[in-house]
Amino acid sequence: MTDKPKTVIIGTDGVPFEMIEHFAQTGVMPNTARLIADGTFAKMQSSIPEVSSVAWSSMITGANPAEHGIFGFIELHPNSYRMRFPNYNDVKAPTFWDKRDGKSVIINVPSTYPVRPMNGVLISGFVSIDINKSVYPPDLVPTLQSFDYRLDVDARKAHQSMDLFLEDVEATLQGRIKAYRYLWDYCDWNTFMLVFTGTDRLLHFLWSAYEDKNHAHHAAFVDHFRKIDEVVGEIAGKLTDDDLLIMHSDHGFERLDHEVFVNYLLAENGFLQFKQDTDPALENICPDTKAFALDPARIYLNLKGKYPAGNVNPAGAETILDEIEDLFTEFQIDGRKVIRDVYRKADIYTGPYIESAPDLILVANAGFNLKGKIGADALYSKGIFTGKHTQDTAFLLIKGPHNPEKLPNPPKVSDIPAIFM
Amino acid sequence: MSSALSHLDKLENQSIFIIREAYSQFRDVAMLWSIGKDSTCLLWLVRKAFFDRIPFPCLHIDTGYKFKEIYEFRDKYAKEWNLDLLVARNEEAIAAGMGPDKSKFNCCNELKTVALKQAIAKHGFKALYLGIRRDEHGIRAKERVFSPRDEDFEWDYKNQPPELWDQYKTKAAEEEHIRVHPLLGWREIDIWEYVKRENIPTTSLYFAKNGIRFRSIGCETCCGPVASEADTIDKIVEELKTTNISERSGQAQDKESDYMMQKLRSLGYM
Repeated sequence: MTDKPKTVIIGTDGVPFEMIEHFAQTGVMPNTARLIADGTFAKMQSSIPEVSSVAWSSMITGANPAEHGIFGFIELHPNSYRMRFPNYNDVKAPTFWDKRDGKSVIINVPSTYPVRPMNGVLISGFVSIDINKSVYPPDLVPTLQSFDYRLDVDARKAHQSMDLFLEDVEATLQGRIKAYRYLWDYCDWNTFMLVFTGTDRLLHFLWSAYEDKNHAHHAAFVDHFRKIDEVVGEIAGKLTDDDLLIMHSDHGFERLDHEVFVNYLLAENGFLQFKQDTDPALENICPDTKAFALDPARIYLNLKGKYPAGNVNPAGAETILDEIEDLFTEFQIDGRKVIRDVYRKADIYTGPYIESAPDLILVANAGFNLKGKIGADALYSKGIFTGKHTQDTAFLLIKGPHNPEKLPNPPKVSDIPAIFM
Repeated sequence: MSSALSHLDKLENQSIFIIREAYSQFRDVAMLWSIGKDSTCLLWLVRKAFFDRIPFPCLHIDTGYKFKEIYEFRDKYAKEWNLDLLVARNEEAIAAGMGPDKSKFNCCNELKTVALKQAIAKHGFKALYLGIRRDEHGIRAKERVFSPRDEDFEWDYKNQPPELWDQYKTKAAEEEHIRVHPLLGWREIDIWEYVKRENIPTTSLYFAKNGIRFRSIGCETCCGPVASEADTIDKIVEELKTTNISERSGQAQDKESDYMMQKLRSLGYM
């Protein structure tokens, strides 16, 4: 190890500012509490939409979606309604480790699959499928396997048994910790990034366990954060005052009251129609369709020339967008407004890929989880999930040499690379 | 041994029946020949069905990125078997520099799907023979022997004729073309046993060199080999009896998106 100042980033997927604050104050995360006392601790804005693929792509590139090209987990094939899943190959802006001098070790950042050669070590995160495409350099694969390293928590287990799911969350965390400890001394790096994603999985399924002290899984939930704090303490102990330690989340979380199906509302109001006697699927929309949504709440006009059954002329686009905006602005459930903001693409995105951006993007008020599912059988419902992402309650914690004055207020997830670049 | 032979005989008879039935229904047909083991087996059966004088063209969709062994094999046997070989290329996209480095999805779409659409439009084919098999991939389990596609190539798998007791629906609406799958019921191991029995030539890519071989071939840029010592047909058959690795594991753009879909669905993103 050289004595040059180092930068270490600890990512915790989905953890909200208030939760870190709460666990720091109640003694669950004492090491994090010390960093808060000595550093800068701020509430941070996620990307829009506030899903991991977009938020992490923004974090690692320091760019907005119209510059990096990732607008969600799902896109459509060109001139088609068939879905595809963008991955690292679709991230069009350089990452900070592409631009930075020296070696980087990057573990479990979402949206970095499949990996490609870089200066250091890259182990990709969600959605990684094949371990052989998830690890650079590839000769690290056997070592990682000897740690029982798991690319991701198998969230399907939560649909079967919470106990099995929690076992998998724990095993995944332990494999991740072993990998970080091994890679810490593996090469002479100057940037080290370790992301925990089990937090997001717990928050999706067990927000209820966080809120309710009598919940059967409350202790397991809190324990997971205690273990992460131990790693934070271990890492902080390896650093000097000249090194920079950044801890952050990509988006926040809160209680989920209702899942709200955007396409259902579009269909109910005549903007989206399916061919008779077919299943509701994008492939089956009929040419009378004016607009449809992809998850979570990205609304696309069914433009002529862009889609096989496209029928909206550019001249009529603005009127339809106004109608949809009015529909969602007024939309209420149980007397509460569902939508916090309706954005046009130009309101929030700038860059060379703005043409690929959705025409309208919705951000919800507290408690409402907007979904792009096609074929929901009701306008809103509640399923297995008890927590939902938030756009405006991510957190950022910085300890070490930095200038808090230079930080935008509030900071955005894409502002992070500028702190150390 | 005799039961293995009768199994292959049954498959062969059924495939030849389907091949002749489709030709008598449609006439304006072609068979897709990717030069891989399955479509080369299909070609062998087609030659048998028409006593070596195939009354329709063999269509090769050429992306320009195929293995050199594939081109050599194609040209050698097109001549030897006196085939009416049609090579379809999306020249416009190739000239514009489309390749897997741009995007694998776009590349497949432009150089395969669009090239095939162009060929169908140009020659007015009403039906196409393909060498796909049910055991290749989960989604193919839903395929039919006579499988309609609409003008956009969309396959409405939830709205297909049932094909019970081998009763095939061989009529197509005007805007449809029919895909005919004579090998649908064959397994990978059946193909290799048939290749051995009939002494059908296959490209050298399938046989292990330096510890690797290809189980499934296509574009050089997007196919990966599997670790294998099987350098003869017998060893390949032995390997298939014990492996639990899927046939298309080497193909870049295949079941990964199925897994991604599952993962996204389990977190509510679909």
